[in-house]
Amino acid sequence: MKRFLTLTAIGALLAAPVMADTLRVGLATAQTGGLATYDSPVIDGVHIAVNEINAAGGIGGTTMIELIEKDVRSDAAQTSIAAQELVDAGVSVLVLPCDADPSLAAIGIVSSAQIPAISTCASSPTLPMIGGDYMFANFPGDNVQATVSAAWAREQGHDSTYIIYSPDSQYTTMPLYFAEVFEKSGGTVLGQDTHSIGQQDFSAIATRIASLEDQPDVIMTSAYEPDFPSMLKALRAAGVTSQIIGSDGIDSPTTFSLGDAGEGVVFTTAGHALDGNPLADFNTKFEAATGNKSETVFNAVGYDLIKVVEAAVLVTEGSTDPQKIRDAIANLEGIQGATSTITYKGTNGMPVRQVALIQVKGGEREYLGSPSPDAAMIPAPRMQ
Amino acid sequence: MAPLLSAQGLQVRYGAVEAVRGVSFEIQQGEIVALLGANGAGKSSILKAIVGLVPTASGQVMFDGRDITGAAPEGLAPAGLTLSPEGRRVFGTLSVSDNLRMGAFGLTDKDEIAEAWERVYDLFPILKERKDQYAGTLSGGQQQMLAVGRALMSNPRLLLLDEPSLGLAPLVMDQIFELIAKLRDQGVTLLVVEQNVAKTLQVADRGYILVSGKIVEAGNTSELTQSSSMQDAYLGAN
Amino acid sequence: MELFLQQTANALALGGTYALLALGLAVVFSIMGLINFAHGELMTIAGYVLMYCGIASVPFVIAVPLAITASVLAAVAMERIAFRPVRSGSGATMLVTSFAVAMILQVLFQNLISARSQPVLLPALLSDSVRVFGLVIGVNKLAAIASTIVMLVFLDWFMKHQKTGVAMRAAAEDFAVARLMGIRANTVIAGAFALSGLLAGVAAVLWVSQRASVDPLMGFMPVLKAFIAAILGGLGSLRGAVAGGFLLGFIEIYLAAFLPPEMQEFRDPIGLGIVVLVLLIRPNGLIPSATLKAEKV
Repeated sequence: MKRFLTLTAIGALLAAPVMADTLRVGLATAQTGGLATYDSPVIDGVHIAVNEINAAGGIGGTTMIELIEKDVRSDAAQTSIAAQELVDAGVSVLVLPCDADPSLAAIGIVSSAQIPAISTCASSPTLPMIGGDYMFANFPGDNVQATVSAAWAREQGHDSTYIIYSPDSQYTTMPLYFAEVFEKSGGTVLGQDTHSIGQQDFSAIATRIASLEDQPDVIMTSAYEPDFPSMLKALRAAGVTSQIIGSDGIDSPTTFSLGDAGEGVVFTTAGHALDGNPLADFNTKFEAATGNKSETVFNAVGYDLIKVVEAAVLVTEGSTDPQKIRDAIANLEGIQGATSTITYKGTNGMPVRQVALIQVKGGEREYLGSPSPDAAMIPAPRMQ
Repeated sequence: MAPLLSAQGLQVRYGAVEAVRGVSFEIQQGEIVALLGANGAGKSSILKAIVGLVPTASGQVMFDGRDITGAAPEGLAPAGLTLSPEGRRVFGTLSVSDNLRMGAFGLTDKDEIAEAWERVYDLFPILKERKDQYAGTLSGGQQQMLAVGRALMSNPRLLLLDEPSLGLAPLVMDQIFELIAKLRDQGVTLLVVEQNVAKTLQVADRGYILVSGKIVEAGNTSELTQSSSMQDAYLGAN
Repeated sequence: MELFLQQTANALALGGTYALLALGLAVVFSIMGLINFAHGELMTIAGYVLMYCGIASVPFVIAVPLAITASVLAAVAMERIAFRPVRSGSGATMLVTSFAVAMILQVLFQNLISARSQPVLLPALLSDSVRVFGLVIGVNKLAAIASTIVMLVFLDWFMKHQKTGVAMRAAAEDFAVARLMGIRANTVIAGAFALSGLLAGVAAVLWVSQRASVDPLMGFMPVLKAFIAAILGGLGSLRGAVAGGFLLGFIEIYLAAFLPPEMQEFRDPIGLGIVVLVLLIRPNGLIPSATLKAEKV
């Protein structure tokens, strides 16, 4: 991380032409604590994009990007403090943590300073609704992911489902969207269970599901590590053989290392690398820059974020005025990112992006496609 | 002959309170020495300072020709110096035999350990009878025997006894003083702190009288019995 | 009835793991009056050893003892480096020290290994299940129950029949007098940490075999559960820790199993409510320590 920082700084020093403007982007993200799992790979991707753009002379050959980074330690209060410091430092764009809750903690500051803020990877569709005009998401919405996976399940002929969700966060309530779409498209919801985030033992729930007279065709959850592997193993050990559907939170190496228990699990995520597609190109860049293979699509999601900022500054013709950049982002259409094309025009800040369906096969990632969701089926954001 | 234990100008402080104000005394091999004085005169503090349970503010303690001032307590039992603490403080959740076993913790010689068991069970047959019982379930007198027995398990050359008869029924108290006499016959050197002055003076060779942390009189027991400081000491006069 | 027995087997497995965790805290607390909140990081260390062994294709039967050994060594090192210098400090000083140790280790894991959670390769056998008396029981549940029994029997033997174990019990009851007997404070305390490391290591293997991943913060949740279980059982009491661990496991599983669906959302607060209720009736825990005075040296 430090290496990136130095490179960026040196790059900025060496390459900055005298007349060029500098776009200051403030990162108030979690480099430590629970959210670091998601924020830190996104920020790695951000660095790759920024280095690439600066090496080419900046956005449009004129506007260099300067990153100012603050660690918010996965804490909501710390996020709002860091956001205020970054606003005071004169940033034109703010980047906020992956989870909706700390991002929302910074909303007051964002709206009063009238600076556009982008969450690294929060996927709750309520984020821009609560966050207002200056809050943007950078990930397919939960309701969109659930629509894609429910449609896939129905197409496969699955008629009944059981959902396991957690009321602890917006994200982990995604199964409620799934149940809504599943029912709307003629399926039956057999039941639901709740868990808490960080729950270690799922044997009680697994035993209950195993004892149901009618076994569900599909079990849907948006639990992620470390809860998801525990849940999955408990279900399989109890003898439950239903198709398991998850979400992008389990797009991680662990899911592919679970052996037989993980076999056949399907989940939605932000994209899939195919030979020659933008994500594969990004992965090559990532490996060249860091010496490591990209382990997660969240790296590419960070790259996307800077591509969105770049596109907006191209629209403002180099102006770093936050208000102009906000308006530009809100009207972006079809921007090519590493994972997908990205459109904000016509949305309230939750971008239209593709959702990839992945299945675990023999410990490998099998691409099932990136079906476009039926707009009529997408549930309205659920306010909690 | 050099004394087995000697203290020079020993001082003990608890915060601002000076509990022991520069006392000097010595104990010869084979003697029974009594420390006498009213509650709060500093008797127990002296014993605790000798074994390192409370820090020594100043002064020096020599044992067997070695400076043990401020030494950690765990080194003293193996060197031959043991305290049987006030209030017995047996390990209530351990069996009687485990208590004794802990008393011999510092010994490594198997024969020596076997001898120690024999000697303690000989002195206190009741402990052998109750060896599997939890120490906490013994009567007060039996616990006192266990406390002394436990201290004897390390084969001490000098045994410090802190209030061995405190809180015991008169009959049991007599047994304790018989025991002290018996130990002397076995050649154990003893430093006894006791509130039962009359009985103590019957078994001890010499004594020191403490008032407010200072030694006001020293001498053999017959001298002390007639001393006027004796009354003063217990009436709290100075 | 069958469902009830099945859930009881689940509760035994979870309760056993909690018992091992609570014992690890209780062993150290009974001797030096310290709740070691860095106990969870010992588990994380054992978890990372399992992870690296998986990457290096070390067989699981060798990886497990390696992980447990690492946790024991880390516990002893923790005592030597962090806790010995503050041993004569107040209880609060030691408590804060343990938090500091936990945080420093977490940041080291995040920076030196990875902020992201890392997969741990486990033998397929652990995900299987077997039929025992008509009940379907996961192999990792059986392993949890069996390891708990083995550890409890071992600990009982060690504390009752080994000189060092008896000395630890003596020191737990009256440290000053134990030292008078020639029992070395350093030995007993290091022994207590080594035991807690052993318990943390075994618990970590059970814990990780369920979640199949390790992350820098994974120690927090188990230490929290251990803390609740230890309080429930009676702080400083080893039997209490076992009882508290099992009771907590039973409370959690039975609530998850038998609470009506509309109340499942409130499972955790209800569970903690039961814990509070038990403590109202028995303020010193189920099996209070004989000596609550845990003296420091």
